[in-house]
Amino acid sequence: MGRLSDRAAFEQYAAQAEQRWETLWSGDRWVISVGISECSIAKGALETYRHLELLLSDGHIPAVLRRVGCAGWCFAEPFVEIKLPGQPPIVYGWVTTDRVPDLLDALRRGELRPEWALGVRAGESWQGIPALRDHPFLRSQRRLLLEQAGIIDPESIDDYIATGGYRAFLKALFEMTPEEVVNEVKTSNLRGRGGAGFPTGIKWESGRRTPAWPKYVVVNSHEGEPNVFKDRRLLETNPHLVLEGLLIGCYALETPHGYNYIGGEHALALRRFQKAVEQAYELGLLGDNILGSGFSCHVRVRTGGGAYICGEGSALMYAIMGQRGQPRTKPPRSVEEGLWKRPTVLNNTETFASIPAIIRNGGSWYAALGTKESTGTKLVTMQGPVRYLGVAEIELGMPMRQLIFEVFGGLRDGYRFKGVQTGGVSAGPLREEELDVPVDFDALTPLGAMLGSGGFVVFDDTVCAVDFARYLVAFSRYESCGKCTPCRLGTPALVEILDRIRHGFGRPEDLDVIQYASKHIIDLSLCGLGQVAPMPLLGMLERFREEFIEHITERRCRAGVCPMTAAAPIAS
Amino acid sequence: MEPTKSGQRVDLEPLRRVLEERFRPRDYREAQELVVGACQEAQRLFGWVPPEAAQLIAEHLGVTTNRIYGLLTFYADFRTEPPGRHFLWICHGAACYVAGAGRLVEFLQERYGITGQGTTPDGALTVHVFNGCLGVCDLAPFAQLDHHEYVGRLNLERLQALIAELQGEAQTEAADGSTE
Ligand SMILES: Cc1cc2nc3c(=O)[nH]c(=O)nc-3n(C[C@H](O)[C@H](O)[C@H](O)COP(=O)(O)O)c2cc1C
Ligand code: SF4
Ligand code: FES
Ligand code: FES
Repeated sequence: MGRLSDRAAFEQYAAQAEQRWETLWSGDRWVISVGISECSIAKGALETYRHLELLLSDGHIPAVLRRVGCAGWCFAEPFVEIKLPGQPPIVYGWVTTDRVPDLLDALRRGELRPEWALGVRAGESWQGIPALRDHPFLRSQRRLLLEQAGIIDPESIDDYIATGGYRAFLKALFEMTPEEVVNEVKTSNLRGRGGAGFPTGIKWESGRRTPAWPKYVVVNSHEGEPNVFKDRRLLETNPHLVLEGLLIGCYALETPHGYNYIGGEHALALRRFQKAVEQAYELGLLGDNILGSGFSCHVRVRTGGGAYICGEGSALMYAIMGQRGQPRTKPPRSVEEGLWKRPTVLNNTETFASIPAIIRNGGSWYAALGTKESTGTKLVTMQGPVRYLGVAEIELGMPMRQLIFEVFGGLRDGYRFKGVQTGGVSAGPLREEELDVPVDFDALTPLGAMLGSGGFVVFDDTVCAVDFARYLVAFSRYESCGKCTPCRLGTPALVEILDRIRHGFGRPEDLDVIQYASKHIIDLSLCGLGQVAPMPLLGMLERFREEFIEHITERRCRAGVCPMTAAAPIAS
Repeated sequence: MEPTKSGQRVDLEPLRRVLEERFRPRDYREAQELVVGACQEAQRLFGWVPPEAAQLIAEHLGVTTNRIYGLLTFYADFRTEPPGRHFLWICHGAACYVAGAGRLVEFLQERYGITGQGTTPDGALTVHVFNGCLGVCDLAPFAQLDHHEYVGRLNLERLQALIAELQGEAQTEAADGSTE
């Protein structure tokens, strides 16, 4: 396979890939696909794969064994999809290695084992197995970024191309000017998926406007928050989608310099993205003079090693430049002075992954999804004792209640809902009576909550509000880079007060000190970490004030979590 | 093998080879961009970044050793001391927290004095409390052993049992003399 020389060569290559894809699915062999992601590996997916390989090696079943990415249903891992000739593919959940022989035997006998099936990939139910898309976890999702998740092999560029991949890049490259690409993104009203929700098109436009050269386009795949795992799954399940978005971004900025900064812990995501880059080079979709268009693009992958602050834009750029990842004062903004002091456009992984569909279908098509001010779809993860734990993709604007109780299936038996923490370590929680709020960029903010990167944490009454607040602030304290005083000294002060309260030494005036100190930290900190570090605490305090008071005046932790080492209540 | 400052024998050859093969900056900027990656390679090879390795990286990429240590001490993932025989990442992300990981973290501190990262006195195990999400939240509280084995639904008893098992194993190995 050599580098493709022009658009026609690509079309021809793509036609062949499509042909092979067709043949695979219409052939007379079984097609068996196993979801392999970090998450499924932890549940034994590799053993399942090897067991299948072993059992199929005797050739009794004519089958193709494939690896696919994760499909977001953590709760059903490891999953195996099996398509028998002439039948629709059936997705089976919980296929641990011990179930493999049983499942294969049953299928050979013509028994479909509906009790293990998650659903059938068909418009409607089939042979008593419900349609996959009617599964409660999937029914209300709208999957654009995850459309091919769990269907294509993330390590195969051919699979990606066979299912429509790189067409958006070609469209941009051959049919659109860079300005038109930026305009399309502006029309889509896509807002950044990394937390702040800044309009992507406007950022790209400012990047274009700054005259300095060279320019850089950077993907933020750092994902160091304690509450979210969507970006690494996207990279694990469809790395080419992110790469295609990055390529379009580089074209829009007319620069050959693309980067992806990936958190060092996300080993599989890193490996798969690197592989995607290599494959794109081999095929001539990266490199000099791509498909004879005159446009060149080179992508470098960089990683860090466990520092949450490196997700912050300016810190990330220092980290790439081989310096300690510490933020700097702004202005100048990164689009004016970023990497190597040159204009740099930084966007989240998911933001870039949203680009190809926008270019393919048009900005106004995208803008019709979601709500007026929060367009499109969003990846969300839900942690805590919910039934269908995983990664979902929803249209923005879905009520939080529906998200928790329908998509994620509500709480597992024996757990009682107490609240849902939003915005990672950057915002506060919601209580039961507030759950009708739509999940989007703006509606959550007046409640002291936040969409952030889309990670939510449901907690039940075994979790103490004071202790949880302490956990969230302590995270920020630990991750503070120490560059500015309000954050470096302020966050430990908050933790200290909370520890006092947890141990039963709290004083009523502590609650005022919390407010006062928090205001200082918020107003005076240099970067986003410090500026929001007290938010979870302020939110918890507002929502669960009675618990804080109980700790202080009665020395009682109703969840039974706090140590409460103090001897007896303070008399008045 | 070269005699070393760190008191351990560190064979720098594999690192040298990797550096020569894959860390070939075209200019000074790229050299700086490659420093963290090179340190990660060193840690992958040795389990930590020994001073001699830091020195070699500095020379290879043309940066100061100070710069290297600035980075090694900044990032939580790097170790400038040799780890124990096993390495355990305990997830302290939010899902693991609400599932009770706080108790495990407290235990590590009370029993071994380990807060962020530390090694049991017998050298059997290095524990790193991971401030972030390890990404397998439905098995919370979650841990990863030696970067490839997964331990889910931990509680205090299971953690204690795991540590005891790893310590026992280390003792037998030491008694057998089968380790070096
Ligand atoms: C402390 C801190 C950590 C951050 N971590 C991340 C991160 O892991 N990933 C990310 O995309 N954005 C992160 N951000 C936001 C980035 O600074 C930046 O706004 C974002 O990457 C821009 O991309 P977007 O507009 O596509 O969202 C973080 C911000 C702060 C203040
Ligand atoms: S607010 Fe905190 S993390 Fe941000 S620069 Fe200041 S000390 Fe560093
Ligand atoms: S199933 Fe993919 S993240 Fe868990
Ligand atoms: S929070 Fe521990 S695995 Fe996600």
